Amino acid sequence: MLKYFTSICLLFTFINGFSQEQKTVENKIPKDTALYKTSYGFRLGLDISKPILSLISDTYSGFEIVGDYRISKRFFIAAELGYEEETTSEDYTNSTSKGSYARLGFNFNAYENWLDMNNEITLGYRYGFSLFDQTLNRFTPNVNGQYFPSNTITTPQTTNGLNAHWSEFIIGIKVETFKNLFVGISGSYKILMSVKDPENFKSLYSPGFNRIFESNTGFGFNYTVSYLIPFIKK
Amino acid sequence: MKKNILFIFLISFIISACEKDDFCVINPVTPNLVLRFYDDINRGTLKDVDDFYVWAEGKDTIFKNVSTDSIYIPLNNLSTETVYNLSTGNIVNKFIIKYTPKEEYVSRSCGFRMVFNDATFTSNLSTWIKDFTPNSLTTIDNQNSAHVKIFH
Repeated sequence: MLKYFTSICLLFTFINGFSQEQKTVENKIPKDTALYKTSYGFRLGLDISKPILSLISDTYSGFEIVGDYRISKRFFIAAELGYEEETTSEDYTNSTSKGSYARLGFNFNAYENWLDMNNEITLGYRYGFSLFDQTLNRFTPNVNGQYFPSNTITTPQTTNGLNAHWSEFIIGIKVETFKNLFVGISGSYKILMSVKDPENFKSLYSPGFNRIFESNTGFGFNYTVSYLIPFIKK
Repeated sequence: MKKNILFIFLISFIISACEKDDFCVINPVTPNLVLRFYDDINRGTLKDVDDFYVWAEGKDTIFKNVSTDSIYIPLNNLSTETVYNLSTGNIVNKFIIKYTPKEEYVSRSCGFRMVFNDATFTSNLSTWIKDFTPNSLTTIDNQNSAHVKIFH
């Protein structure tokens, strides 16, 4: 009886079969199997605009190290670390901000490379923060007219431990000039999320953010030279 | 598409590069003292001061032979006291303002202004000024309305 049961079960099984399938004609042209591998690794460099600007300008000095790490075909984890000191001269105030900053985020390469080219059109996002001091070097109270003129107060007032946090959107290009040596240029639009102001004054400049505009926005510019330390090729 | 994104970025850079904080549009930044002149008998009505001269002690004349019911005068930010001579028809009335000047930050383009705290007003009331109100103010930080009403 059991024998019949298993046979009945077999009755309900089915098998796909094609009897009229034609053999595909083998492609005579050999398929291009050459895959252009690109290097993955850690890229380290520096913003060369800042040391140059430090030499030219006597109100600015700065230094920035840039680095990124490729995680997929198009995505890079990116970071910048730097130090900046800038003297802001306004009509009624003169102040100096100095401190260090870090920016962390990612880059997306929107450029489709030909063959083994390794260039980038970068779209990026960063979260940035800075720690800085601001010194009010001198100020002249803004009194209207000259009937009772005001004196310029030249006693410097320093506020330590100021900080700023911001978001940053970056657009730029990066070109491989020699093997593993990249030159890049980028601009950024920054939106301030929070800033600590000195008492009875304002943070007019934050390292890494540049001039803080009234609308709590800012602009940045980078000109980088970086070297890729390749780990693997894929 | 990429070109469009670039273009939008470029436009937003250009537009947002011009900012209102490049110009100080507040006028006046430091408040002046506003005096309004009222009739001594009918105290609700404004009354012009004729042949009116105003000068601070040891300074040039600010108002010369005017006829007005309100004036604004600057205060000396380097001192805690400003003495004004208010003169009509060659009768001089001293008006003394005492205060504590203090710097207050306004904005990048306007810088610091002065505010005058704990202001007190005194006058030799024997001349053409009969009375004034108030005698003191906690702060003079705007000039939206009269600080002192003077009755004559």
